[in-house]
Parts: sequence; C-alpha cells; structure tokens
Amino acid sequence: MKGSRDWSGEVRDRLPFSDLSFAITAAHELKSPLALVRQLSLALESDELTSGERERIVHQILLTSERGLRLTTDLSRASRLEESMFTLEPVNPQQLCEEVAHELTPLYVARGKEIRVSSRYRPVLAVANRDLLRRIMLNFGDNALHYASSDAPVELRANTRNRGDKIRIGVRDYGPAVPIDIWKRLRGALGTDVQPLHDRPQSSGLGLYVAGQFANAMHGCIGATRHRDGATFYVDIDASTQMSLL
Amino acid sequence: MTKVPFVLIVEDDEWLAEQHARTLQTAGIRSQHAAHALAAIDMIDVQVPDALLLDVLLAGPNAFTLLHELKSHSDLASIPVILCTNSAEQLSEEDLSAYGVRCVLDKTTMVPGDIIAAIKKVLL
Repeated sequence: MKGSRDWSGEVRDRLPFSDLSFAITAAHELKSPLALVRQLSLALESDELTSGERERIVHQILLTSERGLRLTTDLSRASRLEESMFTLEPVNPQQLCEEVAHELTPLYVARGKEIRVSSRYRPVLAVANRDLLRRIMLNFGDNALHYASSDAPVELRANTRNRGDKIRIGVRDYGPAVPIDIWKRLRGALGTDVQPLHDRPQSSGLGLYVAGQFANAMHGCIGATRHRDGATFYVDIDASTQMSLL
Repeated sequence: MTKVPFVLIVEDDEWLAEQHARTLQTAGIRSQHAAHALAAIDMIDVQVPDALLLDVLLAGPNAFTLLHELKSHSDLASIPVILCTNSAEQLSEEDLSAYGVRCVLDKTTMVPGDIIAAIKKVLL
C-alpha cells in the first residue's frame, strides 16, 4: 500500500525479553493505569464534585482497573504458554471481532471514541485458540484506543491472505502519524529489547510482545502497518481448511 | 483587575487531563487541554500560555519534541514548563533545565494540590 510500511516477518521468532527487563517493563506498563486510578481516587475526595461527576469518576476507575487487569491476565497467561496445551479450533473471525468490539465499546465510549467491525459477507474460518485470539485483539484494541483520534472510528477487520491460506485480523486506527524514529523503536520493542524511556510512546511494546507470543502459540504471527494517518496492527493465522476435506 | 493565569495541559490521557483541569479551576486558574504535541503547538499559536503542564510520553511526538520546538522560537522559549510524568525517577533535573523545565511532578506520588503549588511557584 502506498504511504505505508509492513514488517510482519520481522516480528516473528524474535528473542523474548530477558526475565529482568520483562519484569521492569511489566512494572512500567502497570504504572500508568495504577497512577490514573490513584489520581481518580484522590479526585473523589473533593467536596466540590457533583453526584454526576462522582459517578463518572467511579466509572473511569472501573474501566481503568479492568484495562490493567487485562494486562496482568495476559502476562500471567504468557508466562504459562509453554506448559499449557492450547486447543486450536475453527474460529469465525468476524464473530470474534464483533465480540471484541462489544467488550471494548464501554471503554471507547467513555473515552469519547468509537470502535466498529468492518463487516464481511461469509468470512473464512481461522484455525486458532479462541481465547488467545480474543486476547490479541483486545490488546490491539487497547493499543488503538491510545493512539486513535476521536474523529474516526477504530476498525476491526478480517481478510484472507495468500490465496486463502491465511487470515489476517487487524485493528486499524486513525490518529496522528507516529514519527518514523518512534515507529522504528516500537518495532524493535515488539520482539527484542526494552527501549530507552525518552524515545518511546506510552506503550513499551510489552502488550504487543505478549500478543506475539500468543500468536506464535497458534503458529501465527503479528505485524503492523504504518499509514500516513494511523496504523494497523494485525495477526496472521492459518485459515481453516476443513471445508476442503469434506 | 487581576489577570487569570492560563495553563496549557498537554496530556494524552483525557481523564487525567480532566482531573488536572478541575484541580486548576478550584484555584482560579484557567486551562485548556491538548492531547498531543502537535495539538499543543496549534493551541500555543492561538494563545501563549502562562505555563505548560506537560506529560512526557505522548502519542506521536513526545514532550521533548515539543520542548525543542518551543525553544526554537524566542517568544515561546521562556514559557515555564512543569513536567507531570510516571517516569520522574528516570529524568535528570540537570538535563531538563536546558528545556525550560522548572518543576517535575511524579504522577505516581503527587496529590492534586501539588499541581497548584507548582503552577504558583513558576508563575511567581
């Protein structure tokens, strides 16, 4: 695509974070929602809040806590990937996108943003672990929320690739373009090292790294495409061939 | 009549920005919010703030890109800057002074009153 760049191959099979850097990065990632919950809680102490404002802040605390908990659940899940068996089954990617959009909608609405699914007639089934694929998409959706502008909705979409052998499920956001230097560092963060703090955007890439681990466990890979007006983060997984066996 | 101070909040988390604005309002300080550095530059073009309350890690260009931009304009270089960040412990005050940063607030430990105290300190 003109004006965009893709690196799906580079993301796959990278070395994991070292244990220490993983812990440090996880701590950093969790600091943000925890600090927000703390500030919102402190705000509740004010006597000058209306009941409507108070209700709104409580809702924000709830949604922020849930977002933080999604990350902790993903981290604990990722640490047990090798010792667990994951059932791969045919999954309807369109239906999964709709479930993810439904789950993230309260958070998006509260942030004044919109998430929707690009509809597709008769989607091809993917071979995936439903829970891992859902977590990958939730992760991308959380990430897009941070970068998306309020003017254009974040879109989830599923397409076939490689003449139908692969399914690509992606999350497209429209927002300020990420400068190329930060983009390169974010790309690095997907698979290798923790990046110098001054140079990276709010996400350290840990969430994307975890998503990559989940994708690997399903014999898939994640990648991203930088557009002039935003980015698409996606996962490529095998298409189900069960129909051809019938 | 006393001039009402005007603070530009550059913060990519709308909810936190909302809290900052509410805190400043209680102290009679007017504020506006920019969600990223590019929006901040546009808003500064319209009205130069008396102080900048600035997050470091922003979507798109980060705080240092904005500070470099401000430093390159003689009429904007002297805007006092208060950094408000989750990464305060990783920032060197010595390095920051070159950017016009007068105060660093740690989001993980600060209380709402710290923002008002910091603003008053830099505006004095």
